[in-house]
Amino acid sequence: MSLQCAFSLQGVTKEFPGVRALDNASLDVRIGEVHGLVGENGAGKSTVVKVLAGVYQPDAGLVKIGGETLSPLTPDSVHAAGIRFVHQELHLIPHFTVAESVFLGQERSHRLGLDNKAMRENTKAFLQSMLGVDIPSNRLIRDLTTAERKLVQIARALIDEVAKVVVFDEPTAPLASDEIETVMSAIRRLAEQDIAILYVSHYLSEITDICDRVTVFRQGKTVKVFDTITEHSGRDLVYAMVGRNIADMFPAKGDRAKGPGLEVTGLSDGSAFADISLSVEKGEIFGIAGLIGSGREELIDTIYGLRKAQTGTFQLEGEPLIIKSAAQAVDAGIVLVPRDRRHDGLVLSMTMAENVTLATLDQNASFGLENRRLARERTEAQITALDIRPPNPDTVTRLLSGGNQQKVILARWMVTSARVFIFDDPTIGVDVGAKSEIYQLINDLAASGACVIVSSSDPVELQGICDRIAIMMRGEIIGELQTEELSVDELVSAITGAKYIKNLTDVN
Amino acid sequence: MIWILLQRFGFLVVFAAFFCLFAAWNPVFLQGGNLLNVIEGSAVLMIIALGMTLIVATGGIDLSVGIALDFGAAFAVVAMKSYGMDWFGAACAGLIGGSIIGLFNASLVIGLRVSPFLATLSTFFIGSSVQRIFTNGGGPISHRRMPEEFRNLAIGDVYGVPTEAVIAIVLVVLYFLILERSIWGRRIHAMGMQRSAAIIAGIRVNRILLLCFIAASVTCAVGGLIAAANIRMFTPLSGFSYLLDAIAAVFIGAALHPRGRPNVLGTLAGVLFLGMVANGLNLMGLNFNIKDALQGIILVSALALAVAQQRARNRLVS
Repeated sequence: MSLQCAFSLQGVTKEFPGVRALDNASLDVRIGEVHGLVGENGAGKSTVVKVLAGVYQPDAGLVKIGGETLSPLTPDSVHAAGIRFVHQELHLIPHFTVAESVFLGQERSHRLGLDNKAMRENTKAFLQSMLGVDIPSNRLIRDLTTAERKLVQIARALIDEVAKVVVFDEPTAPLASDEIETVMSAIRRLAEQDIAILYVSHYLSEITDICDRVTVFRQGKTVKVFDTITEHSGRDLVYAMVGRNIADMFPAKGDRAKGPGLEVTGLSDGSAFADISLSVEKGEIFGIAGLIGSGREELIDTIYGLRKAQTGTFQLEGEPLIIKSAAQAVDAGIVLVPRDRRHDGLVLSMTMAENVTLATLDQNASFGLENRRLARERTEAQITALDIRPPNPDTVTRLLSGGNQQKVILARWMVTSARVFIFDDPTIGVDVGAKSEIYQLINDLAASGACVIVSSSDPVELQGICDRIAIMMRGEIIGELQTEELSVDELVSAITGAKYIKNLTDVN
Repeated sequence: MIWILLQRFGFLVVFAAFFCLFAAWNPVFLQGGNLLNVIEGSAVLMIIALGMTLIVATGGIDLSVGIALDFGAAFAVVAMKSYGMDWFGAACAGLIGGSIIGLFNASLVIGLRVSPFLATLSTFFIGSSVQRIFTNGGGPISHRRMPEEFRNLAIGDVYGVPTEAVIAIVLVVLYFLILERSIWGRRIHAMGMQRSAAIIAGIRVNRILLLCFIAASVTCAVGGLIAAANIRMFTPLSGFSYLLDAIAAVFIGAALHPRGRPNVLGTLAGVLFLGMVANGLNLMGLNFNIKDALQGIILVSALALAVAQQRARNRLVS
């Protein structure tokens, strides 16, 4: 890694009506380094990316590449200067081959038309030498894993081999946790070949893992540049991002179990998991940990009636229960905050009030006709209780931030008389500040006597909020851990099966 | 200037422009009797379009609305002619006949998980064939001595307002209350916009789909009763002519809605617009053969304008 500057932003300011998205921000990325860019939602990360892409014209400030000021700043001039972008969304056509996808819009040709052979060979060679992977270049995109698709997308940005700077915007967002390493090692390989990399991500563990230096943005300003990053930098990064210490990110736990809550016995779905038994007491926060493919997501879906159970029984507070559909689960007082809130959680084009009252419509109606005033009042009460922003029940939920969307879903269930709350990866894509609020709300639910199940791919989160954690692997619960004497490292080893778990209580 | 006006109030401007054009061309257009004709002539289409609005609101489409209309007419005519039922019994028989189509659609969509488009297309094919077989090749079943009360469904009036218009208005009000003001309507729209989110919110989507398919087909059968009463016969496959206009009306209506949703008042506007254009072109004495082409051009321009209008509105919001 040399210390030579690949590109820099100097004193960039960008105003939108009513908001100063960037306020004298600067950023300096060196050749051959992976430079992290972090900040909460709204800190100005995506604005920086768009300024760099030539999409937004800055009101003040300069963009320099290799010491020279880039002017004019347009998508074309940026491309010509060798800056490439790998966006969060994949945008690949499922029925195209790898080579066709890589060369889409930049096809090679010879006298007789497309030079498919050259494109195939070129693609294969590029993937091998630059990214260090072996993907057959005639395979169809739809047959690739998500990580492989991401690599194809990277290859597409870099295949013309003039790239000097690559901007990665949340590159691991669509990936399962075990696929992340594939993409990360490809990115490291790029940096070794003297390409400057700007790595924009929410996931601090990745940032500390891959980045050489990190710039932190807060409210459009550059607040701190970390010149050395170690695996222990996470706490300092968070402090810089939110401007306060989040040592107390997780609320205090207490001894809260108050008698029988939800009991699941011998549950199997016939494919993803078998013979699962678990019992969650009232007032308890029960975690379910497991990698992708461990059957964790399928288990949650089955408990909520979204998947068919083959065998198994449910009991709630001692009473037997039949759950064959989500509607039955909701009627019984079991509610789900799903992992994909934009797809499964909210009806995005509906307003906050409409989403909050969606499960309790008959409480706000006379003779079937909706009492919208009452619905709004109830929503306003929840907005105050959960501190949802903006505090306007008529806001269309598509426009809300991730944390507030999650709160709207929670508000919908708070107005029901739910007794069991299931959270499936509750803080994915939620920024740090909102995360700690959501943890507090989950904790409050348990304190008020509800059964809470948190299924998560984030071991820190599970260790931080749960009282007990069940570890799933290959469709079975391999053990349960009390979180009091548990470290995050131990939990990770247990989830990945790397280490024998002490304190393991056999549940079967 | 005109462009801005069009963007802001696109569809209304087009509507008004055509209204003025027709009025200027032929003064007959403006006469009370003619406007009443437009409304009366739009009644059956309005009823069919209501059924279509309901199904499109659930996130599907119904290509078998015409079959439900035919079944409604056939069951009613046969009930009177062959079984000597009175008008009320015949009307009930017609509605039951229509509901068979909805049940069949629902069983395909819910039971076999066929997409609504393909399910109702199959129903359309099967239903058409059944009618041909039943009538030995498609000949009409006429019933000259139809009870007067039944006849009145089409030619009677309530305090001077044609009965079919009254029925259409009652159904419009009913549909408006259900789809736009009731909790069932909220559920229907939720599942139509985002089915998986509706399921997770505990909404019983299959039950709603079943009820909607039945309600839509029974509504179309009401249109069938009126059609049969009007010509005192059942003409096989006559419902088909309403299908495309009903789809057009629903999507004109959806384009008028701020969120682009199918909605009852929008459908009403769409139906009246189509009715006005057809009537106006007739009065202009244009070659009948170019009527459809003009209607198509008008439709596309109206929809394009509505889209521009929506964009302008969204820009204002953001």
